[in-house]
Amino acid sequence: MKLRHPLSGLVYESREDGNVEVSDDQGRSGVFTTAGRWIRGELREADPHFAGFVAGPMINAAGRIQGSRGSDKKAAPARTGVAVPTFDTRNDGPRAGRHKEREMDLGLDGRKALVTAATRGIGLAIAQTLADQGCDLAICARGEAGLETARKDLEGRGAKVFTQVVDVADGDALTAFVSGAAEELGGLDVYVSNASAGGGPGEKAWQPTFEIDVMGAVRGVGAATPHLAQSDAGSVVIISSTAALEYLGMPQAYNAMKAALISFASDMSQALAPQGVRVNTVSPGPVYFEGGNWEMIKQAMPAMYESALAQCAIGRMGTPEEVARAVVFLSSPAASLVTGANLVVDGGFTKRSAF
Amino acid sequence: MATSPTIEYPAEIPAGQGPRSSGISYQQLLDDDTRSVPEVLRWESARELPVVRVPLERYTSREFHDLEVEKLWKRVWQFVCREEEIPEPGDHMVYEIAEIQILVVRGHDRKIRAFANSCLHRGRALKDCAGRSENIRCPFHGWTWNLDGSMKELPCRWDFPHVDRDEYRLPEYRTGTWAGFVFVNMDPEAPSFESYLGDLPRHFERWDLAKRYKEAHVAHLMHCNWKVAQEAFMEAYHVVATHPQILAGIGDSNSQYDVWDNFSRAMTANMTPSPHIDYEPDEQEMLQSIVTTSLDEAPMLRVPEGMTARQLFAQMARMQLQSTVPSATDLTDAEMNDSFYYTLFPNFHPWGAYNRIVYRFRPLGNDPDRSIMEVLYLAPYRGSRRPEPAEIHWLDYDEPWTHAPELGPLAKIFAQDTFNLPKVQRGLKSASHSHATFANYQETKIRHFHTLLEKYIAA
Repeated sequence: MKLRHPLSGLVYESREDGNVEVSDDQGRSGVFTTAGRWIRGELREADPHFAGFVAGPMINAAGRIQGSRGSDKKAAPARTGVAVPTFDTRNDGPRAGRHKEREMDLGLDGRKALVTAATRGIGLAIAQTLADQGCDLAICARGEAGLETARKDLEGRGAKVFTQVVDVADGDALTAFVSGAAEELGGLDVYVSNASAGGGPGEKAWQPTFEIDVMGAVRGVGAATPHLAQSDAGSVVIISSTAALEYLGMPQAYNAMKAALISFASDMSQALAPQGVRVNTVSPGPVYFEGGNWEMIKQAMPAMYESALAQCAIGRMGTPEEVARAVVFLSSPAASLVTGANLVVDGGFTKRSAF
Repeated sequence: MATSPTIEYPAEIPAGQGPRSSGISYQQLLDDDTRSVPEVLRWESARELPVVRVPLERYTSREFHDLEVEKLWKRVWQFVCREEEIPEPGDHMVYEIAEIQILVVRGHDRKIRAFANSCLHRGRALKDCAGRSENIRCPFHGWTWNLDGSMKELPCRWDFPHVDRDEYRLPEYRTGTWAGFVFVNMDPEAPSFESYLGDLPRHFERWDLAKRYKEAHVAHLMHCNWKVAQEAFMEAYHVVATHPQILAGIGDSNSQYDVWDNFSRAMTANMTPSPHIDYEPDEQEMLQSIVTTSLDEAPMLRVPEGMTARQLFAQMARMQLQSTVPSATDLTDAEMNDSFYYTLFPNFHPWGAYNRIVYRFRPLGNDPDRSIMEVLYLAPYRGSRRPEPAEIHWLDYDEPWTHAPELGPLAKIFAQDTFNLPKVQRGLKSASHSHATFANYQETKIRHFHTLLEKYIAA
């Protein structure tokens, strides 16, 4: 916004960085905060009310908050959600105390998210939860039919959806998908690296697990970084596994590769912090869903299933939705201080003290 | 208490009379209206008001707060809620003033009653929050009253031979309703609600606030005394410094101020230039200052040749109102453009015409440095079915008003207003002078408020 002060004649203009620039007709200018505090420039004094008005957020006719950073998000989700009164006058008024308005807002509305391997299980649940929070989505998978089903589901939740058939093992295809997604959606705020080769015994499992789980994350995050850096809330969540944390009955490529991801994410959290991008890992324990690994194990190896179930401290395995909520929180601006973390989401399946 | 040896306050000037702004008067502006002007806008009432300065500790001291509780809040008629917030038998809400809670209940006879929110057994608050229930039952031991306050049930009746059912009715406070607003008074000796209101209902006959619904209700916690907050909304004197962006289109210092017995009114015109600016803005500039058009954007509205900004804005407002207010075509340019802000002592501020605003200001607990500012929007609606009232949207001390999108573009104006308030409270604590000094005319409403407050405190 740009306005002329009717008394001083100075022109106030909001800047991309949220501050306000004040200039006179002699070509002099100064930069001030919205509270009128001088930052730099020849002009040293500004009217705080006028500066706040010009550069502060406003609600437009459509009920959307327009901030000084050019964002145009729906107003309601921009609430911080922390404003619970400290005195019990909140009981005043009809139906007060339910505090629907006071739910924590994740700040994801209107953001762009990419999830790899998002047509089933945890990946689909993550995409659905992000869509429910108001994100537009780019998803990939190997199967066209699964992508179409997922697209319809996500569009039904109000998301704009970009899909592409990609084998994450194919590095070029993956990086092309990431670039295409950023172009189609108009940027990227959230990158979720979910694709996995899955388990498998023996030496032959190592190469595909390395290519898909590890290099999929390395290449995907690499391709996404320039876009995430442009977001004001860029974040990466990499899906690891409790298999990385504790011995699971036999040595496997899967366990070691998932461990590599935690290490990689931790390094990336340091490397990308200066660009404002957060990187975290989520390590799910056993997650049961129709068509998932544990359903298969339950039928094929009931003893193993029973023993895993017995280890779940909460008495059941997790659901994809429960994992998705943890992922979506970490991916969101609500988790703005969390980076380099590995969030274990396993209902007490692992027994170590997680220092 | 701050006393100053440095300032000798001169004798107080006679109020009510005295100099006025050189700008066009509000009454003169009404002469150019395109519709016939209703009587209510023509009424003028200036009165002698003895108070032109008040001691600063009135805003900062716990002692004065305690006096307010005893002498003001326990004796005065005060707005508690809207009738439609407790529409059905058993609906209730808990009103809070300082640390006193009052339970407001609609009975099976549809009457609204108010009780001290305290169990006659050992004092537990009877209700913690708003809701609907068949009776009033204390959650602690189960003492239960009917909705009309008569005792219903006392567990282990045999153990209370000393309790007489009739003597243990819930003590009831007086209630009154006007235009859909429910008021309570804790003082049995207080004048009747009708006599307290005086002529106020006549002022609102044309803008029936009963047939409105609560479109928005935002409650903002404030780091300042409730009177500091309230007084920022009782004059247009602050516009020149606090809302400079609208100066091209607001008749601030030439507003009209009137007082009656327990209420006061200000009328501030829009789409007329402020006497503060030293140039003559054209009609388009006036319009843009009010609807906020950025210099680097094309204006959304253009004032057509031969029309004034005031006429154009009125015409647009009438079009918008028409679907809910059939008489909109006859409403004056003044009602479509201007602000008519009333104050019913001590803290209730309904606006006239269709601005929708109602303010209420209350102390928060017993802390003279904290308060609650509430903004209600009462909007007209269509048809016989009143839309559900909005729930209270709480905003924390430092939370921006723009977090309440239901307030629309005014949120930014409220932000400018309340930007100063914690700084006022801070300044009051740093003062070496002893009194706040009010303008003779433009702060008439505040002087009227303090005149009445002194009357209550002295009683």
